Amino acid sequence: MMNTKKVFALLLALSMVLALCACTSKKPGDTDEDKPGEPFVVNACIASEPETIDPGLISSVDGSTYTQHQFENLMKYKMIDEKVDEDSNMLKTEIVPGQAASYEVSDDLCVYTFTLRDDIFWSDGQAVTANDFVYSWRRLVDPATASDYGYFLDNIVVNAAAIQAGEKDKSELGVEAVDEKTFKVTLEAPCAYFLEMCAFASLVPLREDVVEGNDNWTDPANIVVNGPYKVVEWVHDSYIRMEPNEKYYDVENLGPDAIVWWLSDSETAILSAYQSGEYSFIETFPSDMIESLQASGDCFINPYVGTYYLYLNCSKITDWRVRAAMVLSVDRENIVKNVTQGGQSPATGFVASGILDSTGADFAYGVSELGAIYNTLQEKYPDADLSTYAGKCELAKKLYDEAVADGKWDPQTTVVYNFNTNDTHKAIAEACGSDWQTVLGMSISTENQEWATYTNGLGEHNFGVARLGWIADYNDPVTYLELLVTGNSYNYGLYSNEEYDKAITEAKATLAGAERDQLLYKAEEILFGEEGFPVCPIYYYTNMYCMKGLSNVGYTTMGYFFFWYAEAAK
Amino acid sequence: MAVYVIKRIVVSIMTLLLIMCITFLLMNAIPGSPFLTEKSTPEMIERANAKYGLDKPLYVQLFNYVKNYARGDLGTSLKMQEGTSVSTILFGQGKFELSIKLGVISLLLAVIVGIPLGCIAAYNRGKWIDGFLRVMTTVGVAVPTFVLAGLLLIGFAVNLHWLPTKSNSLPDFKSYVMPVISLSFYYTCYVAKLTRTSMLDAINQDYIRTARAKGVKTRMLILKHALRNSLIPVITYLGPVMAGIITGSFVVESTFSIPGLGKYFVQSVLNRDYPVIMATTVILSALVIFMNLVVDIAYKIVDPRITLTGKED
Repeated sequence: MMNTKKVFALLLALSMVLALCACTSKKPGDTDEDKPGEPFVVNACIASEPETIDPGLISSVDGSTYTQHQFENLMKYKMIDEKVDEDSNMLKTEIVPGQAASYEVSDDLCVYTFTLRDDIFWSDGQAVTANDFVYSWRRLVDPATASDYGYFLDNIVVNAAAIQAGEKDKSELGVEAVDEKTFKVTLEAPCAYFLEMCAFASLVPLREDVVEGNDNWTDPANIVVNGPYKVVEWVHDSYIRMEPNEKYYDVENLGPDAIVWWLSDSETAILSAYQSGEYSFIETFPSDMIESLQASGDCFINPYVGTYYLYLNCSKITDWRVRAAMVLSVDRENIVKNVTQGGQSPATGFVASGILDSTGADFAYGVSELGAIYNTLQEKYPDADLSTYAGKCELAKKLYDEAVADGKWDPQTTVVYNFNTNDTHKAIAEACGSDWQTVLGMSISTENQEWATYTNGLGEHNFGVARLGWIADYNDPVTYLELLVTGNSYNYGLYSNEEYDKAITEAKATLAGAERDQLLYKAEEILFGEEGFPVCPIYYYTNMYCMKGLSNVGYTTMGYFFFWYAEAAK
Repeated sequence: MAVYVIKRIVVSIMTLLLIMCITFLLMNAIPGSPFLTEKSTPEMIERANAKYGLDKPLYVQLFNYVKNYARGDLGTSLKMQEGTSVSTILFGQGKFELSIKLGVISLLLAVIVGIPLGCIAAYNRGKWIDGFLRVMTTVGVAVPTFVLAGLLLIGFAVNLHWLPTKSNSLPDFKSYVMPVISLSFYYTCYVAKLTRTSMLDAINQDYIRTARAKGVKTRMLILKHALRNSLIPVITYLGPVMAGIITGSFVVESTFSIPGLGKYFVQSVLNRDYPVIMATTVILSALVIFMNLVVDIAYKIVDPRITLTGKED
């Protein structure tokens, strides 16, 4: 009897295991092999589960990429037949009219009138109208939306800042639907990069009847889009599947039959899936694999408009010579070669490489090859050799010793270097700390904090040195330089210089051209001149990715990839 | 027994209420905000706080939590899936079911394999097989899950192509193999060690000596007499582990791309997603409380001398 019971119990346990194993879930769409005659599916992994894909609420690059595939703006990114870079296998993009058929600009350059295309429709068949843009733009600046990019139109479009501040109603925003197909925008002052802003993901049109009162409007069952692809399936924390939007005006020319965005944050898992052929495009992989991936021809590097930099707290490191010495004595070549190893280039200024001036020249090297960090110092100390690290260290030591001799800096002070918990940030902190200790004899204490605590500390200016990275929102130096204007919320190092503030204010109100360029170059010179050095730029970002089996993929230096015209590589 | 269970349920509800209050206070005590990003300004955070009612006094927020929980409303995610209801995030698309499934299978495997291994080691104490199992189980509890998962992934999926790299929603038998092994290996080894130790302890008891003196065969001694008593520490261990194995599957789920619950237990705190923190804490607490109740009842089944209410004698 006992034996029968035991056998029964064992069988029951085994059957439970098998039953649980047998419970099948839905398969994630297509298989990964692209066999002849089978649908062409792009399997890409660019991030983990997005916080949202609501264009009005997104703030991440992955969220923007999904938006760019689902929605089309007044202007759009169009691929041109030119490689992004010699180390890249992607195509460059340029800004061209998208949902707009054409646009007109008033003589004072403050009023833009867009005429919409006749053949643009939402995925449910309704025509896209100017009112959809009015609704979307007003929703973005509405304080009730609490969008991370609510500030995006501040001081650009009439009344945007006042609406954000709650002083005016959103209906007073300087946008108007003149008629169904005419959308008018009134700017506060001419804006050299306004058309580029019109391609930004946060400003895509939205349908009021779809969005309002429906918190789940981005679910595949509810969403209505006007772009080339539409999400048809979203298994949270697993994948987002997009298929062509049949109502899109260029649907015949779209490439993939489906794009599956796999959602994962495990570098090992992502790389494994790529190596086994399940993914054809990935952006994340363990940094110690970069070398072997480059050797195998899988890994490519795109330029990426972003700067990794350190705030030097001006209220704690009060003498500019000490800050300048810290900026000069960081061995950036060592950091990019031995620490980050991702093809980054050493920063020579605060404005990221890739941001262009009005002549099309790279702003980072517009004044000289040395870059903004060194230009002013080179003029002030002509004998210093700022083209070599040894020369920079020599000047750094001289400036530091002067500050100590003048009693402006106590060499016994321990500077606290804060960073958010991350292996790379830690390694950079250790490299910088070591340089400052070796070259200047400074005492550095590094402290890591998890992200939320860290950013809280930044806002409270509770640090000596703190790291941050800034990716450009649009291709204009102002996207960087205005961060350090007195009172700006991102001015965590509490830098304040009237001359600098004035130069930025004037530049913002000046039309693109030589005069504006000069104002901006002057501003960055002030930043790295006497009484300056509130930031220590470390390197300019790059975007590393692995891609196989695909061609005709577009890229912008803002970090967006475009797969809508992708083809299977021959 | 029924009275005992009812009493325990009432106490459990009170416990959960207390846990909610403590969790609420703790999560509001740590610095940071769900709306902090590299590009957020104090004004943006203020607006977002107003949107989600985080600008209200703390006692009002706590009262709202309790009131909504009583109605079955777990709130809305502030960060991880902004604007989505927490119950949809945690229970929608079979996430909870997936984590439970993975956890239960792993635990069953740990029990089915771990207890016999412990018995074999104890039965063969001092022999080579005992030595081998002791080394194996010691290594098993020392190897971190992410290392084992990574090794399995590279070996069996990337190099040999025997198993899929992504287990997704565990659609077939193959997709279970690596996640279950990764998740259960530690527990299997620990259960085996625990069983061996308690078994050896039981073998030295007087009643075993008596049974042996009466001529009961060693095999019967182990399986019938010693095993039953030596299972009590194992059962005590398995109760909280059941809850832990679900929450602790974060690494395994992440490595094998399984869209389960694991990540929400960890990342909700890092993201300061208060409603998700509260929901995951309450779920975990409820699981621990429930498993403790199951364990108490299991004691009674394994050893009838144990009383639950203190009145049965």
